Parts: sequence; structure tokens; C-alpha cells
Amino acid sequence: MSDDYESTQLRWLGMLSVLEATTLVLLVAVAVPLKHIAGWNVAVHVMGPVHGLAFLGYCWAAIQAIAEGGWSRSEAVRLFAVAFIPFAGFANARLIARKSAALRTGVVQ
Amino acid sequence: MSLATLYPWLKALHVVSAFFFVAGTVTTSMVLAAERANPGSVEPVAGFLAKSERWLTTPAMLLVWAFGLTLAVTAGWFSSTWLQIKFAFVVVLSAVHGIQSGQLRRLVRNKALKPRTTLPLILVCVMAVLVLVVVKP
Repeated sequence: MSDDYESTQLRWLGMLSVLEATTLVLLVAVAVPLKHIAGWNVAVHVMGPVHGLAFLGYCWAAIQAIAEGGWSRSEAVRLFAVAFIPFAGFANARLIARKSAALRTGVVQ
Repeated sequence: MSLATLYPWLKALHVVSAFFFVAGTVTTSMVLAAERANPGSVEPVAGFLAKSERWLTTPAMLLVWAFGLTLAVTAGWFSSTWLQIKFAFVVVLSAVHGIQSGQLRRLVRNKALKPRTTLPLILVCVMAVLVLVVVKP
């Protein structure tokens, strides 16, 4: 399998990370305050399942990437920890970009 | 079209997707076990299996989740204990599939596999899911 393919997989992981982070921010910073301050429940009813699916998709991609190897224990923990912290998923994109660069230079084992 | 009319179609599509997902997961597990037992023996089929994994098993898993969640919402089963337990088993099964998918990609890139036996866990999960969904205790 080519390194291009692996880069594509890492790009998918990066995109899912950003998607998961975005839906978490929308849920925590927009939908939940709307529910408690304005009594508007619709946003939580929509964003809850959307974030749930994005979370599951990201976790699956992270498990796949870690099983493939090339990630240290601390990097693996970080991949999962960011899924629970608002905005952290955006910073994750840098780690994944580093991995992608390492793959191109043949450093990833 | 009402939800009651859609229900048997959703259920049928959920079952079809689940068959493909389980078939792909069990096959990958056996191929990886064969490779661990006899390194180099499955090299000719690894590339084909990786493609099947990408274009058949993984989409089937996504459809299982999509149809399953739609069924649970339309039938109002989310508060049922049997579904919550089934959900946990499906999460484990999906995680095992993710691990195997990563291992398969290692195999295609000619890297050593980690000594993980997944078949017993897959079979236990599948049996638990089937019993729970049929009996609905």
C-alpha cells in the first residue's frame, strides 16, 4: 500500500478530529447554553446525536491508526484525550500533520 | 410513508449490513491469525483483503450504525436495558474491527503483526448481540 494511501488515511483522521471538535464546541458552547438560558431544547436534540456520531467516527479512526503503529503511548493517549476537551481537536491537526510528514520521510515505523 | 411501513425495510437493511460487517470482521481475524501462525502465508491475499476491508466491511459497519440508530430512535428503544448492553457489545465489535483494519494495513506494508487474538472476542460479541436482539430480555 502506498504512502499516498497512508497520507490519505491520516488526512481522514485529521478531518474527523476537526469535525469532532467542531460539533463538541457547538454542543457545549451553543446548544447547552441555549437550552439552559433560553429554554430552547431543539439545538441539543440535534447537536447531541450529531456530535455522538462524529465522536464514534473519530474514535474508530484513531483506533485504526494506533493499531497500524507508529504512535507512542503518550501520542495514543493524546489522540483519545482530545476528543473530550473542547477546542483540543483543532490542535490535534498539528500532531497528525507531523505524523503525515514523518510518513513521507520514512520515519514512521 | 409512515415509520411503521419503513420499519421492516430498515430492519432488513440493518441485518444485511450486519451480515457483511460480521463476515468481513471474522474473515480478517482468521487471515491475521493465519499470518501470525505462518508468517508470509497470506501475503498474496492481503492486498485484496485490505481493499475489501475498505470498500465492503467498513461501509457495512457504517450502515449497521446508521440503520441501527434509526431503528432504535423510531422504535423508542434507547431506554431499554437490552439495547444498552447490545450497544456496548457493538462498540467493542467496532473497536476490534478498527484494530484489525490497522493490523491489516501493517501486513500490506510488510510490517510485523502484534500478537493479538481477536476471534473469540468477535464470536462472543456476535452471539451476545444476536441473543439480546432476538430475546430482548
